[in-house]
Amino acid sequence: MRDDPQVVALVTRASGGDQDAWYELVDRYAPLVYTICIRYRLSNHDIEDVGQNVWLLLVEQLGKLREPAALPGWLATTTARECLRVVTAANKSERLGTGLDDSVLFVDDTAIDEEILMAERNAALRAAFAELPPRCQQLLSMLLSDPPHSYAEIHVELGIPVGSIGPQRARCLDRLRRSSAFAGLGEGEAKIDARGGEPGA
Amino acid sequence: MRNDWDDERLLVALGEAIKASEAVPSWFVETGKNAFAWHNIDAELAQLTYDSNEDKREAAVMRSERASIRALTFTSAHLSLELEVTENSLLGQIIPPRAGTLEIHTRTGQISTTEVDEIGCFAVDPIPDSPFRLRCRSADGTDVLTGWITI
Repeated sequence: MRDDPQVVALVTRASGGDQDAWYELVDRYAPLVYTICIRYRLSNHDIEDVGQNVWLLLVEQLGKLREPAALPGWLATTTARECLRVVTAANKSERLGTGLDDSVLFVDDTAIDEEILMAERNAALRAAFAELPPRCQQLLSMLLSDPPHSYAEIHVELGIPVGSIGPQRARCLDRLRRSSAFAGLGEGEAKIDARGGEPGA
Repeated sequence: MRNDWDDERLLVALGEAIKASEAVPSWFVETGKNAFAWHNIDAELAQLTYDSNEDKREAAVMRSERASIRALTFTSAHLSLELEVTENSLLGQIIPPRAGTLEIHTRTGQISTTEVDEIGCFAVDPIPDSPFRLRCRSADGTDVLTGWITI
């Protein structure tokens, strides 16, 4: 696990009572908690239940986390445990004595590890994106929309000459690449790269 | 970050990151943010140490029978809370007994209160239909908060 100074700072601030830091932590890692719930194929009702438990546990643990930098791992493990609790309880009450459905219960550690790496990478990318100047954010958002906007549309919307869109795109991406939010990210990335794309997407 | 990523690669990764965030329902994020209300609560936490449902599940497997009363016990360093859930009521006792006030906290942040009498007994009525936690306070400085309870 990499030692992300941003995460450490957010945990420290939140445990000192800074609500904005807490909000930022939730924004950052809600996708991780949510994706794991989806992997366990929980209903929305159960997802809400698990989510509430996980965040409440974190609130109570904030000052006691031995390694704040390991927060994504803590969140993933706690979420998986809470999901398993919900699934096991449902299995026990609905399928008395008929045995558990192992395919539902079993989400292996490798899958969880990949979710953690993906979540860290995504959080770093979003943090870096948020640091970009508004012009870059607008341009990249238009290029990323589905379907992507054409250069002609971007020209009309943002007033950038069509011939400058390519070079500006390159400059914006370069700023993204050099952003401090990216510093240190890279360990364990090869695994995700090799698989390509997002798991379960 | 991945300095070796070309622009295409980086743009795709950024798109995935933004999509992953947008896929999370706003109510899910709100739930997480609201949890901060529980930060730095001074109360002593009482853990669930007994739940008759755990026994009942085992028993049901054996006998296909259901007990009509659910019993729960929460224990903290200084006292325990015994709860009994019947169809219409939730009765409880604080041990060792003491008078005080019992707060019922729901996840939406609502708080209702009820009296705890001299022998430590209280009734919660109606039983909340969503998860809740109980906080017991008395004049001697007792301040104990249970974990979340789902009936």
